[in-house]
Amino acid sequence: MFRLLIDADSFPLGKGPMVMLILFLISTIFIFARSEEQGQKLEFWIFANTHFEEYQTRVPIFEAENPGVNVQLINFGGTMHDKLLAAMLSNFGAPDLVEVEITSIGRFLKGAIDEVGFVDLRPRLESEGWMEKLVVSRFTPWSYRGRIYGIPHDLHPVVLLYRDDLFKAAGVEMTEVETWDDFIAAGKKATRDLDGDGTVDQHAIVLDRRTESDYFSLLLQQGGGFFDEEGNVIIDSELAIETLEFFVSLFNEHKIATPVYGTWHGDPSNFAAMQDGKILSILAPDWYVGILKSQVPQMAGKWKAISMPAWKPGDRRTTTRGGTMIGITTQCKNPDRAWELLKFTYFDRGGLVNRYETTRIIPPLKSAWDAPIFKEPDLYLGGQPLGELFIELAPDLPPRYQNPYWSEGADLLNDAIFAAVTEKQTSREALTELAAKVRALIAKDQGRWRDL
Amino acid sequence: MRTKPRSSRFWHQQQKIAPYLFIAPFYLLFVLFMGYPLLSSLVMSLYEMRGFQSRVFVGIGNFTDLFRDPIFWKSLRNTAYFAIGTLTLQLPIALLLAILLNSKFVKGKNVLRLAFFAPVLVAGVFVAIIFNLVYDQRAGLINQELILFGREIGWLNEENYVMPAVILTGVWQWAGFNMIYFLAGLQGIRQELYEAAAVDGANWWQAFLHVTLPSLRPVIAFVFVVSMIGSLQLFDLPYILTNGGEPADAGSTIVMYLYKNGFQFMRLGYAATIGWVLFFIIAVISIVQLKLLGIFRDE
Repeated sequence: MFRLLIDADSFPLGKGPMVMLILFLISTIFIFARSEEQGQKLEFWIFANTHFEEYQTRVPIFEAENPGVNVQLINFGGTMHDKLLAAMLSNFGAPDLVEVEITSIGRFLKGAIDEVGFVDLRPRLESEGWMEKLVVSRFTPWSYRGRIYGIPHDLHPVVLLYRDDLFKAAGVEMTEVETWDDFIAAGKKATRDLDGDGTVDQHAIVLDRRTESDYFSLLLQQGGGFFDEEGNVIIDSELAIETLEFFVSLFNEHKIATPVYGTWHGDPSNFAAMQDGKILSILAPDWYVGILKSQVPQMAGKWKAISMPAWKPGDRRTTTRGGTMIGITTQCKNPDRAWELLKFTYFDRGGLVNRYETTRIIPPLKSAWDAPIFKEPDLYLGGQPLGELFIELAPDLPPRYQNPYWSEGADLLNDAIFAAVTEKQTSREALTELAAKVRALIAKDQGRWRDL
Repeated sequence: MRTKPRSSRFWHQQQKIAPYLFIAPFYLLFVLFMGYPLLSSLVMSLYEMRGFQSRVFVGIGNFTDLFRDPIFWKSLRNTAYFAIGTLTLQLPIALLLAILLNSKFVKGKNVLRLAFFAPVLVAGVFVAIIFNLVYDQRAGLINQELILFGREIGWLNEENYVMPAVILTGVWQWAGFNMIYFLAGLQGIRQELYEAAAVDGANWWQAFLHVTLPSLRPVIAFVFVVSMIGSLQLFDLPYILTNGGEPADAGSTIVMYLYKNGFQFMRLGYAATIGWVLFFIIAVISIVQLKLLGIFRDE
């Protein structure tokens, strides 16, 4: 008969605790034994619901094509970046693959180059010839010190979305607008007090003066930025100051802009103002059009789109806003397998067409652009083929250089923009002070770590 | 029997160690999840991290930096503003509601108690989302009324109104919760005290001043201290309501600034420093409050 190796009677505290201890030991052995076979398991963290839904349909196909591989998709929503940071700090528990949002990546790039928690993908991209197949400028947000830590999920070109009916009612044909000067002239006609009570009822454009989103988009359009390619602070350049002066003038001098209703462009109040005809235009990246369609479907047919007005005739007529990358973490036990999944989710033409169908996001893979779906009329825009416009603009996207100090810089930039628009400081004062603060922050860190 | 001496020895030993084993789980968990992190964060506040691995000793550098940091002072001012607003607005309202619900003349007490308490059951994030709509400058509930009087306030868009908006939201959410404490305290006051006061010729106000308030002192002290600590730890409500403290850090609080430094800027040493400064502020204020409210007095 079966006999316990340990005499239960002589075990301190009796049989119950002994059984619990044995179960604890068995389960511990089981857990550690299982972790050995994780080479075939891929964990993939996501923060965006729409991406998660897309991968839920795509991943089973990958698993079927790669027998024995099990992909675990985990959607942590908005808290994902904090969880990833904790996992990288503790050097334990990070996923194999992860998507990271553009304003969050900077914090992961701090420290020595070998401390970054993402695998450098440049060798794989170059050896397999992917660099030429994608929009090169879209690697800049995910690159630092010569390494590429992520593959762009998107391009996010920006267009000017406008209310054709209301501009026409004001006697303005928006398709004739080519430059920002043209837009100001058109905006002055369209910004009106309709009931004569002394309050403006409709503004030509809605802009966010609380955060950097609109101002920074305008700055990027001109080829400017917060940091240059070498990591130098350039937010106090003449270009940046002139752009902020222009931004401020839309509110205070030309009086054609209204601050965003609520706290950001996706605020329900902002959508309500759009429906009420208080907002006549908005700078809209591709993803924002997707949000509009889902949040205010009743506005179908009321919007039209044109390329952004240029600063000078012939200049760039788009910019970029937002973005996501996919990266392989340095904790990944099987980077080759992870790379295969990455390519399957990001470089597969069929999958990217499907992504556009559900999210309206234009893919960075150029060979996908000739798919018929991008030329289809968009009913939300009264039949205008919006995909075609986005793709026409895509090759001209400006670079957006990444930097570990972006988060600190952006936080201070928000304050500077608000100070300038509310005339507490001039644009020059606000940006000069901001640049000095960020330079001082970097200088202090460089003093602490001389090899930074 | 052969085993008897062994059992008896073991039983004797067990009697000695049993009490320690009973309290051991708490101490083990405390050391693991409180003691070690606390000590670790204190050490961390003397360092600054770079990336995920290396760090450099900066001594009290983080503390001196913090006291020169204008955003920290602004966050501290905002937090103090909220705490004072909470104590001067929310607690009297909570006490007033409790007195009303404790009076014989109010009907439907159970329904009212539930109605006043219900906002506590709503998660802070949802409260913030709801009040975002309430405070909307053009279409919000409050401004729709104010417009009738020719006034429109940018609750969340003008620096001066951001913290009042947060305070009012806090009142809506927490006044009912504190009301329950006061109500429990009121119901614990012996009726004989009021009868004795009436015999001495005290009117309602005098009975309130000389019977109700002194009897409620322990409850008031508890609510004061807990509300103050809660106010100093304010985070989720303004974070969502003001989209991260905007505009111009008008909605930034100490814990929000701590979070930003720790998780968004990856300045963990600096964030730990903010945490320790906050700890000292809370400790000092709580001790002063308890002292002023006479909780340390022997009676």
